[in-house]
Amino acid sequence: MTRKNRWKWLLTATALAVGLALIASACGGGGKKSSSSSAGGSTTSTGAKTFANFRIAYDTGIDFLDPSLSYTVQGWAIMWNVYLPLLGYKHVNGPDGATIVPYLAQSLPTVSSDGKTYTLTLRKGVKYSNGAPVKASDFAYAIERDFQIDSPGVGFFGNIVGASAYGTTKKGHISGIVANDTTGKITIHLMAPEGDFENILATTFTALVPAGTPFKDQSTTPIPSTGPYMIQSYSPNKQVIVVRNPHFDASLLGGNVPTGNPDKMTIQIFGDASVALTRTLNGQDDYDFYQPPNDRLGQLESKYANQIKVYTPANTFYFFMNTRVAPFNNVKVRQAVNYAINRQALVRIYGGLATPTENVLPPTYPQYVKLNLYPYNLAKAKQLITQAGAKGAAVTIWGSNNESRRSPEATAYLQQVLKSIGLNAKLKIINAAVYWTTIGSQATKAQIGFADWFQDYPHPLDWFDVLLNGERITATRNNNYADFDDASVNAKIDALKKQPTLTSSVNSQWAALEKQIMEQAPWAPFINQQGIDTFNSDIDLSCYVFHVNYQFDFATICHK
Amino acid sequence: MAQRAGETEFTLDTAAELASETSASEIRGRSPWYLAWRRLRRNYVAFFFLFVFLLVIAACALAPVYAHDVAHTGPDANHILEVVKVNGHPEQVVSEGGVINGKLVASLPIGPTWFGGGGKFVLGADGPNGRDEAVRLLYGGRNSLIVGIGSSAICVFFAVVLALLAGYFRGWIDFVITRFFDLFYAFPVVLLGIALGSALAINGFHHFGISVQPGSLWIPTLVISYVLVPYVGRPLRGQVLSLREKEFVEAAIAQGASPLRIMFSELLPNLASSVLVFFTLIIANNIVLEAALSFLGAGVQPPTSSWGTLISTGRDFIVTRPWLSLAPGIAIVLTVLSLNVFGDGLRDALDPRAKVKVQH
Repeated sequence: MTRKNRWKWLLTATALAVGLALIASACGGGGKKSSSSSAGGSTTSTGAKTFANFRIAYDTGIDFLDPSLSYTVQGWAIMWNVYLPLLGYKHVNGPDGATIVPYLAQSLPTVSSDGKTYTLTLRKGVKYSNGAPVKASDFAYAIERDFQIDSPGVGFFGNIVGASAYGTTKKGHISGIVANDTTGKITIHLMAPEGDFENILATTFTALVPAGTPFKDQSTTPIPSTGPYMIQSYSPNKQVIVVRNPHFDASLLGGNVPTGNPDKMTIQIFGDASVALTRTLNGQDDYDFYQPPNDRLGQLESKYANQIKVYTPANTFYFFMNTRVAPFNNVKVRQAVNYAINRQALVRIYGGLATPTENVLPPTYPQYVKLNLYPYNLAKAKQLITQAGAKGAAVTIWGSNNESRRSPEATAYLQQVLKSIGLNAKLKIINAAVYWTTIGSQATKAQIGFADWFQDYPHPLDWFDVLLNGERITATRNNNYADFDDASVNAKIDALKKQPTLTSSVNSQWAALEKQIMEQAPWAPFINQQGIDTFNSDIDLSCYVFHVNYQFDFATICHK
Repeated sequence: MAQRAGETEFTLDTAAELASETSASEIRGRSPWYLAWRRLRRNYVAFFFLFVFLLVIAACALAPVYAHDVAHTGPDANHILEVVKVNGHPEQVVSEGGVINGKLVASLPIGPTWFGGGGKFVLGADGPNGRDEAVRLLYGGRNSLIVGIGSSAICVFFAVVLALLAGYFRGWIDFVITRFFDLFYAFPVVLLGIALGSALAINGFHHFGISVQPGSLWIPTLVISYVLVPYVGRPLRGQVLSLREKEFVEAAIAQGASPLRIMFSELLPNLASSVLVFFTLIIANNIVLEAALSFLGAGVQPPTSSWGTLISTGRDFIVTRPWLSLAPGIAIVLTVLSLNVFGDGLRDALDPRAKVKVQH
């Protein structure tokens, strides 16, 4: 080969190599992507960008994947696109996401003039993922199943005629729910008007399930679904596989429930936030459900700023104090705890991704009026403890090992605070999977502990009625961890419940009620937490939808 | 004839001379323990690691002194919003973080101050609670050693008793005990430990007149000792079965000695060397197991520290504050290494032919 020929050969080879590389890069995914991931997205005729597999690194917080039993953000975030109620929320960003739209119902309910009768009609032609038709009576069955398996959602249905009696006997049917399978008509009779009843009808607890679904937890033997997706398998603490529901037809639901972009969601559960983040940044997963560890925030800001979304969900983190158990049956002790905790210190525990609060309601609510009843004052706290005669009282602080919520750290801080004001405090940290059911059981008699609340729906009743109405205290799966039962407060909640709309006058009444409650200090609220969603570089964040209730909507995301 | 050094000159008087030498230096009986000690004291490596282990024990035992007189804080004391002077410059124990001026800023615990902080935060703070890592490391070591040594003592005690009963009586007693061992063998140690530790961490143990509160160090101690009994008991049972056939046991039976006397006066002394070696080696094993259980949340419960819990809490800062996990990790390695090397030395000294090791 002459020198000239050699150059020719070299140039040809180089051009060929570059060409092949370009073709390969156009056809294949990035080097980071694993073979299980889809290669890019494809745009369908409807404009949706579908792709093969959305890989999620999840935390360990799933309690159940049964619509009757799950009551965690982790459970609901998955089931929102799986089990559909009659009504639901728009799959959109911002405040508009709080708008209720008909899902399995043809339209929003017709409400009688006295506000006590709701009438809905089931959409025609809707099928479960197993091909069976959805029937109107399945709604009644779903509510009755909630009572049969002691769902944490049964408190929502206490106002339905005959529901309480059914809850006691668990025999017959709920007389206040009348369903006609032929016409699809569903009539619900309430004992009294209830302003948030449409919101209640939009909770996952009311999602329709086929008649005959067993009266026991079906998390690992998934119930046929009505939504765009169905749970294919669930191995607790390991993996959830969500696939498309072959019988879902978005056009039947008036376009209110999107078909979704991923064909499949592979949700792998990890016990370590750092592992989940690393996998996501390395391209092994597409989305990290965990809150990133504090020490990775600098790295995220400097290298991955365009792969993260900082969000502020409607939540309140608080320490509950059981008003039925000494020493917290004394209001002075409860107030002392409120004075003694330094909320700025707690903000620091949450890595600064939080704002301090003394309110029950998050600041996103129109009813929110900032409370400043308990400025940090250790001397006053000690004085109140002395006045209450509670010095040296034995106190057990309950917390879970949920690292995302920083429960171990917050309760460790609380222990020091309680010791500093003269209480003999011990710490009891238990597994996150059993934490809520443990402290929600009256048999536990949990004195004080960590709690947080992410709204079920954007209405003050979801906070005051669910969490602080003494009439809704239950023996098990109780949400009123403080066992707060004040007749005056209960009466005001019940009265406000009847208000059909949230006018400014009604909002003021809620704000006044919040102040009244916090003066009795059943809680020591401390922060509203912000969150961070992290994605790998292949995800197109222009598709990102953060919903007011369900947070990041897995179904609407798309690939670049 | 010239005599080479070291050679005995044989003369006609040799037998007489030998007899006189024998009477001059009387042959003394050496106990096995003395012989073992003679062998052990020549093993300088084993002695060095024994010294390291004693040093670790001494450091951990002095944790309260260090906390009170040097660091001026307790192991569980939070210092979240405090500021300390490091080489004259004020530094926040836990820095501010969150979204500041539109940028994500990490909230980090203070790093090691070494000698610049006047004894405070020598190894930095442990995380968002701003607790002194050095203080927690020493207290954590104390707890790890208590659990490790305590569980080993309990485990070896029950293993010896069961091995003696099974090996001596044989028959149905042996059958029941070995099936009990088999039952435990069927479970992986760590999984069984997690299951028991997690269950007991919620409500403690309140049965058979025994009450152990959740959060007590007794829970990991008992769980670890319980799950490891078969791993010590089974090899010891084998030794007892072998010793049972020896003449001295038959002699004791012929003399009318009671089973209890034979087990504890005849068999146990002959097992002692193995038991001692097992005990040493299993301490190391149990310290690691405690760390594993605590790391997984089934061992020592927060806020009580142990080396395992410290590694676990340090995970959140593995990128920026790696020593939070490294320091307790190094402490575990040092302790376990020293115990293993010393245990090996002890085994070589007590019975060079023995193949005693803890396996699971």
